[in-house]
Amino acid sequence: MANETFEPKLAVNLGGLAMKNPVTDASGTFAAGREYSDFVDVERMGAVTTKGVSVVPWQGNDAPRIAETPSGMLNSIGLQNPGVEVFKQKDLAWLAGKDVPVIVNACGHSVAEYEGIIEALADDERVGAFEVNISCPNVDAGGLTFGTVPEQAAEVVRVCRAKTTKPLIVKLTPNVTDITEIARAVEAEGADAISLINTLLGMAIDVRTRKPILARVVGGLSGPAVKPVALRMVWQVHNAVKVPLLGMGGIATAEDAIEFMLAGATAVAVGTANFVNPHAVEEVIDGIRAYCIAQGVHDVNELIGGLKA
Amino acid sequence: MTDNVSPARPKPVDESCELIANERFTDSLWDMTLRAPKIAREILPGQFVHMKIPGMAGRILRRPFSVYFADPDEGILKILYQVVGKGSAHMTTLMPGRVDALSVMGPMGNPWSLPDGAKRVLFVLGGVGAAPLAMFGEQVLKAGVTLDVCMGAQTKDALAMKGHYEQVLGVEPICATDDGTFGHAGFVTQPAAELLEKNDYDLVCCCGPEPLMRIVAGMAADADVPCEVSMEKRMACGIGACLSCVVDTVDGKKRSCVDGPVFDARKVVW
Repeated sequence: MANETFEPKLAVNLGGLAMKNPVTDASGTFAAGREYSDFVDVERMGAVTTKGVSVVPWQGNDAPRIAETPSGMLNSIGLQNPGVEVFKQKDLAWLAGKDVPVIVNACGHSVAEYEGIIEALADDERVGAFEVNISCPNVDAGGLTFGTVPEQAAEVVRVCRAKTTKPLIVKLTPNVTDITEIARAVEAEGADAISLINTLLGMAIDVRTRKPILARVVGGLSGPAVKPVALRMVWQVHNAVKVPLLGMGGIATAEDAIEFMLAGATAVAVGTANFVNPHAVEEVIDGIRAYCIAQGVHDVNELIGGLKA
Repeated sequence: MTDNVSPARPKPVDESCELIANERFTDSLWDMTLRAPKIAREILPGQFVHMKIPGMAGRILRRPFSVYFADPDEGILKILYQVVGKGSAHMTTLMPGRVDALSVMGPMGNPWSLPDGAKRVLFVLGGVGAAPLAMFGEQVLKAGVTLDVCMGAQTKDALAMKGHYEQVLGVEPICATDDGTFGHAGFVTQPAAELLEKNDYDLVCCCGPEPLMRIVAGMAADADVPCEVSMEKRMACGIGACLSCVVDTVDGKKRSCVDGPVFDARKVVW
């Protein structure tokens, strides 16, 4: 225990994005912050990560889009979003009035669409960084997920990298045999940081009707149920690449967040926990600070990869 | 995302609420009373609360509930809930004085809207759908508007809100039961159709199973009367962020938590 009073330094740098503390939200769980602003002071966050945005509007999937499962939930929202022009006029305009860096989650159904969304926002000073979501289906390759094939993941990162000098974070899917292989592939193409994990593919069945609960049958699992898997993957990727990591997957408390940092994450994202506790993001920030004070940690960066093996 | 948010809508809060009572109405319908002074003071008819049920560690999501009665002076909210799954079954075990405070977010969603100059309003209620309109019934009557209520359920016992409409609102619902154990034998759409034929209405409000709302929306459209419905969808965040609870409308997919739950029936794609 520290016997002195001090204010721990909480600022981190995520691949060129300066964050006043290591905490952001996981894309898709927080819209672009405005919906949560009755409960959360978004200016206290290290960054706001927006919902996935695409060049043109996406309708998303049919309902039911969610199912509650033990210690978690499945979703198949389908990245419903109004397209980049509406995003600029509404979400980015609202965020521009807030003193907080913005990470724009970018998605596409083809390499050209990824290139297009980065291009549409590359010169927008309101955007602090991009998080490229490579968990989308590649319609030009029969719907195969970009992020499951190293060459395709690399190609997406290559075209995005060519379009922007802003920090480029690449968000990996856990639905692969060896996540370090994908991580190395995107690092080699110039990713500034890697975020992980996206949701784990799962399903749920209503035994009374014998039908799947989700209209799309399968969906992405999130929440506390996935935390041990996410933590393991962050640790593996930390040992495989040099770029900083944005860790996420089931983080609901500061203790969860600190586990991710010890496993190698520079920053962390709170996702499904926002639905349960709308104050979760701020509670994680406050809890990390309290942990640092209690543990005599003067700089939160000391925690990154601090796992004693 | 969308901007059809009523400007007069109160800001939601996350309130720590005491469980006052949790009693059985019928076999599958329960009545919960909460002390929630902040929400009770602000909630508008048709809005809902989003509740974290204590003691369900493995079931993490909140659950939305419509409020059928609010007393701003006493700080009381009343909720009617149906036991449909493990979450609602667990809720019946919560006992006042033996359970920690409940985390309740609210008021959420949009309210019913009474057209200016309205003279007569018709409610068509199916099962637990009677609850989300009870407070609006009080508002309609207070405004000096004539209110007719058609209430349907599977059996006499399932007409759980009948007593509340009679005692609190002073309205005698025209009842229908599927099994004929009370009132008209058959669906509630039959007495509703007769009333629509007989009287001039300025608004029809319907809440109940989706097939009922679809039929009533069609009947109101044929009679050229505005119609509002309350849509219930699987919900996660409750505040418009996650896009889980979407309803298909002529304007695209809309969130039932903030763009609803009350929708103009003419805009819903059934």
